[in-house]
Amino acid sequence: MATTVTEPGLKRVERLERIWVEPRGVLGWLTTTDHKRIGLLYFFTTLAFFGAGGIEALLIRTQLAEPNAKVLSPETYDQLMTMHGVTMIFLFVIPMSLGAFGNYLIPLMIGARDMAFPRMNALSYWLFLASGLFMYASVFLHAAPNAGWFDYVPLALKQYDPGRNIDFYALGLIFNGISSTAAAINFIVTIFKLRAPGMSMNRMPLFCFAMLAVSLSLIFALPSLTIDLVYLELQRNLGFHFFDVAHGGDPLLWQHLFWLFGHPEVYIIILPAFGIATSIIPTFSKRKMIAFPLVALAELLVAFIGFGVWAHHMFATGLPTITLVFFAAASMMVVIPSTIQVFAWTVTVALGRPEFRAPLMFIGGFIVFFVLGGLTGIMFAAIPFDQAATDTYFVVAHFHFIIFGAAVFPILGGMYYWFPKVTGRLYHEGLAKLSFWLTFVGTALTFFPMHIIGLLGMPRRVYTYPSSLGWGAYNLSETIGAFILTAGLLLIFWNLVYSRFRGAPAGPDPFFGGTLEWATTSPPPPYNFPVIPTVRSAYPNWDAEDRRADVARLERGELVLDGGHETPASTVVDAVPDEVLEMPGESPWPLAVAVCTSLLFIMLLTRHYAVAGVFAGFALLAVAAWHSKEPQET
Amino acid sequence: MSATPAAVARVERARLARPNGWWGMAIFVATEATLFGTIIGTYYYLRFNNLHWPPPGVPEPKLTLPLVLTGLLVSTSVPMQLAVNAASRGKLPRARAALLLAVVVQAGYLGMQVHLFVHDVHEFPPSGSAYSSIYFTMLGAHHLHVFLGMLLILWILLRTATGLTSYRMNGLRATAFYWHFINVLALCVVGSQLSPLA
Amino acid sequence: MAAVPLTLPVGAWAGDNQNALHPASKQEHSISVLWWVMLVGCSIGFGVIVILLFLGWVRRNRDYLPFGGRDRAGTAIVIGLGVFVPIVILSLLFVWSDLYVIKTTEAPAANSTPMSVKVIGHDWWWEIRYPGTRAVTANEIHIPVRTRVDMLGTSADVIHSFWVPALNRKADLIPGRVNRLLLDANRPGEYRGQCAEFCGQQHAHMAMYVFADPPNVFRRWLANEARPARKPATPQAREGERLFLNLPCSGCHMIRGTSADGTIGPDLTHLATRTTLAALTLPNKPPDLTHWIEDPQRYKPGSKMPGFSLTSSQRDALVAYLDGLK
Ligand code: HEA
Ligand code: HEA
Ligand code: HEC
Ligand code: CUA
Ligand SMILES: [Cu+2]
Repeated sequence: MATTVTEPGLKRVERLERIWVEPRGVLGWLTTTDHKRIGLLYFFTTLAFFGAGGIEALLIRTQLAEPNAKVLSPETYDQLMTMHGVTMIFLFVIPMSLGAFGNYLIPLMIGARDMAFPRMNALSYWLFLASGLFMYASVFLHAAPNAGWFDYVPLALKQYDPGRNIDFYALGLIFNGISSTAAAINFIVTIFKLRAPGMSMNRMPLFCFAMLAVSLSLIFALPSLTIDLVYLELQRNLGFHFFDVAHGGDPLLWQHLFWLFGHPEVYIIILPAFGIATSIIPTFSKRKMIAFPLVALAELLVAFIGFGVWAHHMFATGLPTITLVFFAAASMMVVIPSTIQVFAWTVTVALGRPEFRAPLMFIGGFIVFFVLGGLTGIMFAAIPFDQAATDTYFVVAHFHFIIFGAAVFPILGGMYYWFPKVTGRLYHEGLAKLSFWLTFVGTALTFFPMHIIGLLGMPRRVYTYPSSLGWGAYNLSETIGAFILTAGLLLIFWNLVYSRFRGAPAGPDPFFGGTLEWATTSPPPPYNFPVIPTVRSAYPNWDAEDRRADVARLERGELVLDGGHETPASTVVDAVPDEVLEMPGESPWPLAVAVCTSLLFIMLLTRHYAVAGVFAGFALLAVAAWHSKEPQET
Repeated sequence: MSATPAAVARVERARLARPNGWWGMAIFVATEATLFGTIIGTYYYLRFNNLHWPPPGVPEPKLTLPLVLTGLLVSTSVPMQLAVNAASRGKLPRARAALLLAVVVQAGYLGMQVHLFVHDVHEFPPSGSAYSSIYFTMLGAHHLHVFLGMLLILWILLRTATGLTSYRMNGLRATAFYWHFINVLALCVVGSQLSPLA
Repeated sequence: MAAVPLTLPVGAWAGDNQNALHPASKQEHSISVLWWVMLVGCSIGFGVIVILLFLGWVRRNRDYLPFGGRDRAGTAIVIGLGVFVPIVILSLLFVWSDLYVIKTTEAPAANSTPMSVKVIGHDWWWEIRYPGTRAVTANEIHIPVRTRVDMLGTSADVIHSFWVPALNRKADLIPGRVNRLLLDANRPGEYRGQCAEFCGQQHAHMAMYVFADPPNVFRRWLANEARPARKPATPQAREGERLFLNLPCSGCHMIRGTSADGTIGPDLTHLATRTTLAALTLPNKPPDLTHWIEDPQRYKPGSKMPGFSLTSSQRDALVAYLDGLK
């Protein structure tokens, strides 16, 4: 980017600046449709929920540190345990990776100026925030969900759980699901349609493939959760019968529908981590990913096969053996795309000249933990072993290694990696390495002993345990590990906060990354790119000639699109430019729709169904108002 | 508003790929289809869990009226498609007429269906058995979709009162697509509803 | 790394024991063999990855593989180790575990066992019945050793899960369904088990024992269990019986041979033959029984048995009576 920009180019940049600038201050944030600002909103919100979920985890660990402890009452324990799971999964990992990372990065990586539906993007955020607050209101009312994150019936039926606890869960997750569905549609269309000229499918960054797979999974997985929750609410509050045997229902129906969603869900959690790993590894190994097409295919395959394995969560429910065997076979198959990727990552590092900076170290930790957690996953596919280990701490160990170690580590690494892009400053490398080792050791110490106590017979979801079974020492070490882990996390956040204000300036591309987000300034301007970049490979930022051509085009005024709020749309497979879209700007209506929807859900919770209908009407009116502002057409 | 129907027709002809709005709707339809797939799946799951379906005391579904009504509803796919074709060639009045026809028929359908629904609720309330629970959930979800689809048409009719733009054209295309989907659903739903007769 | 700490605890203790790797049956033995084999295999797989990562770090200044070769060799490794090797390993594991080992943990064929025992999960205790006899007990299952026993499990309320790690896998107890499981202890002993499906507040205190007794001991036990309750022997115990029948106790508990016929709580006909109270929450000694009757909520908060305000003489009379129910 050494070529200097001259007078006419600068004029054009100024014009873009004027067109894309958003109102300042709180109002600006409330009405924003800029994917970067929405990404940041997601980031801070999910971080807060992470803090909440983490505090819940620490309380759990404190209670379990020794036998017969009395830190938490059984009821409080159940609520914290459930909220911990629900928070971490629905309010932290998914919105963090999809909402924050996806939102901020996808348009930048594909060379677009915004998401396909910017206002719907804002709506997704506000709905997400509202659903999170909705669920957390229950904590302050001491009526938090308390039947575990998969909320099995009959325990969750009114007979056994008469309070509002489960209604918060069911309505909150339906609410949350609307937000995720809107986000997923937005990502798919963005990835399909807004790619820079020349970025055909096979040149799309692997991060985008991962996000595409995630979004597709959400589209097909969420409905079964939603409908399951609808059944639950209908049964709890209106006396329908889906889950009780006496009237022809079946408690296992809940489980089938839940896991039909729940297993794809776990790949929804891990896929963004794959995406982040495949962004960080090439940059610091200074080479392209090995077996690129295979990795892209694997990302899509894992999401696809993930739909056929759900009953492996039900191996002890007494389904016919033939059914179990089918699902075990599918669970074995789903492993293959993961092994492909694990070897692609490690071989890429081995073949490159890797520079072990903090982001890459986190990816190293991710690979170690992913393999560890994945291997215990394979063990569960051996039915007799699963039938012994299921519902014990062995399962807790499996999924924390694979969720915390494998899904969250890349998120942490990604925070370091893209920090210079978002803030324009560098983080502190030494502190970052220290924080890696703390979290790494903490994670191993927290979750590894869980395998052992699981085999020693400790069931999960117990608020306490007797001293006679020899579980105490392991539990204590887990608790100590959790606090070490927390120290590591706090160090990361401290590093980022400190560097935000004191870090050295980063420049546009401190790590020489290969994808397009590094082709623009740090932080990126509201319009992302002064010129829409054109692309000829999967690592366009390493094609220096193309980037010089961008500057030349700015001079000529080609592909600058400074006639309005514009971004190009292209064909789905080959990314041939098709039309120039006029994008909507900031709008108050998404927030208004979210407010009406929140009131709707509050009314459903308090069983004022008629009032709820009124708010549904208001929400529709707000949607109408939103759509009555049309883009200018020429 | 500088756009004219002729300009819209020009844009339509020049397009290489389907617009964002169409894709958005297509993916929305995919998730909706999954939703209905799950509901219908539940219907059969519960059915095979029960010896008597419908349970004793609950009348079997009637055959002719639901079939006739569904046929009527499905036929509205024709005017919907006509509206799209007309509009994309710049013929707005004709498109509006077709939309109006469709929405009137749909309203008739919905009115009849709601009437039948209420009648059935009195006869065998959803709190009676798993059969009636899933029966009413399935039909209710379907009616809700018909209602939303009608709102979309009414919205398009309202907007196109002041002329046609590419933005509205995209909206119309998406709405028509949604209606074709609802009609396919209607067939699946009525098929399941009547399945105990088979 | 993985193997070392896991080997330590095995077989390392006596007494109370819920260890899945300390099998006392053929079924659990095959599960633990499965585990050890998988552990070794997984340790090797884990080692391969760690070595690869380590090589990446050691050779970070060379952009070719240790044995030469660049991209093509790299892709070959990805396909070989990432596709073909796992397919082979997973197929072997599948055939062995899911087609072969599973046979030993499958429910026994109906009526193929000399006896069966019914287990019904309740919030938060286990009701145990011996089909063909009148015996009803709670939380402590007796079975004859080296005898195939068919466990028929269901639930009276929410889902529970029956798990005795030393004997076999788990079986969920689901309302409206009966799930079966083979119990076949190959040596006499006392095997602790615990509810494994989250079932509400006192899921943590829903444990049970399986006693594998020599056949003659078992037969004697069962015969006694099937009989109605003994008549109270002392005046205090008689007073206890009268209290029991007049206080709410009899509305929830059954004592066969008396008018107490409640079904909400455990059958107390032979309470004194049990070693523990309230699903292994307390030992069954008179002082603990006293504590329990006085304030069950203190030991098992949320338990479906409420506390009662009793005078100390009432309390002692009840304990004397219950303690005599041999
Ligand atoms: C991010 C989330 C995530 C991911 C990615 C996975 C991945 C996998 N999971 Fe996991 N799982 C969970 C989250 C996840 N899981 C959660 C949250 C639960 C519990 C839910 C609850 O009950 O609350 C759970 C529970 C769970 C169960 C049910 C356990 C039980 O309750 O009884 C099973 C059973 O089959 C299972 C299997 C698997 C398998 C086979 C994989 C595979 O995809 C793993 C593939 C990866 C690898 C295999 C690593 C690569 C290894 C190598 C490269 C080494 C070489 C390998 C060979 C030679 C074979 N998981
Ligand atoms: C993404 C998923 C995720 C994550 C990241 C975690 C993270 C952790 N989990 Fe959890 N966990 C689950 C998902 C997750 N968990 C699920 C699904 C269950 C099952 C629930 C159920 O059974 O229903 C579960 C259950 C579970 C249990 C078992 C409970 C039981 O069965 O009774 C335990 C016990 O130790 C535990 C511990 C931990 C610990 C110590 C962490 C630690 O890693 C947490 C560390 C994090 C922090 C300490 C936060 C620090 C961050 C901040 C302080 C941010 C600061 C913020 C600002 C400045 C704004 N978890
Ligand atoms: C409302 C019902 C109810 C009443 C009334 C009640 N109990 Fe209970 N009782 C229970 C339940 C339920 C349990 C099982 C508790 C558990 O393990 O969680 C139980 C358990 C017990 C046990 C332990 C049994 C075992 O096998 O471990 C004893 C002893 C007992 N009750 C005695 C009494 C006495 C004495 C009274 C009267 C003073 C009484 N109960 C009144 C419901 C009741
Ligand atoms: Cu019963 Cu857990
Ligand atoms: Cu799964």
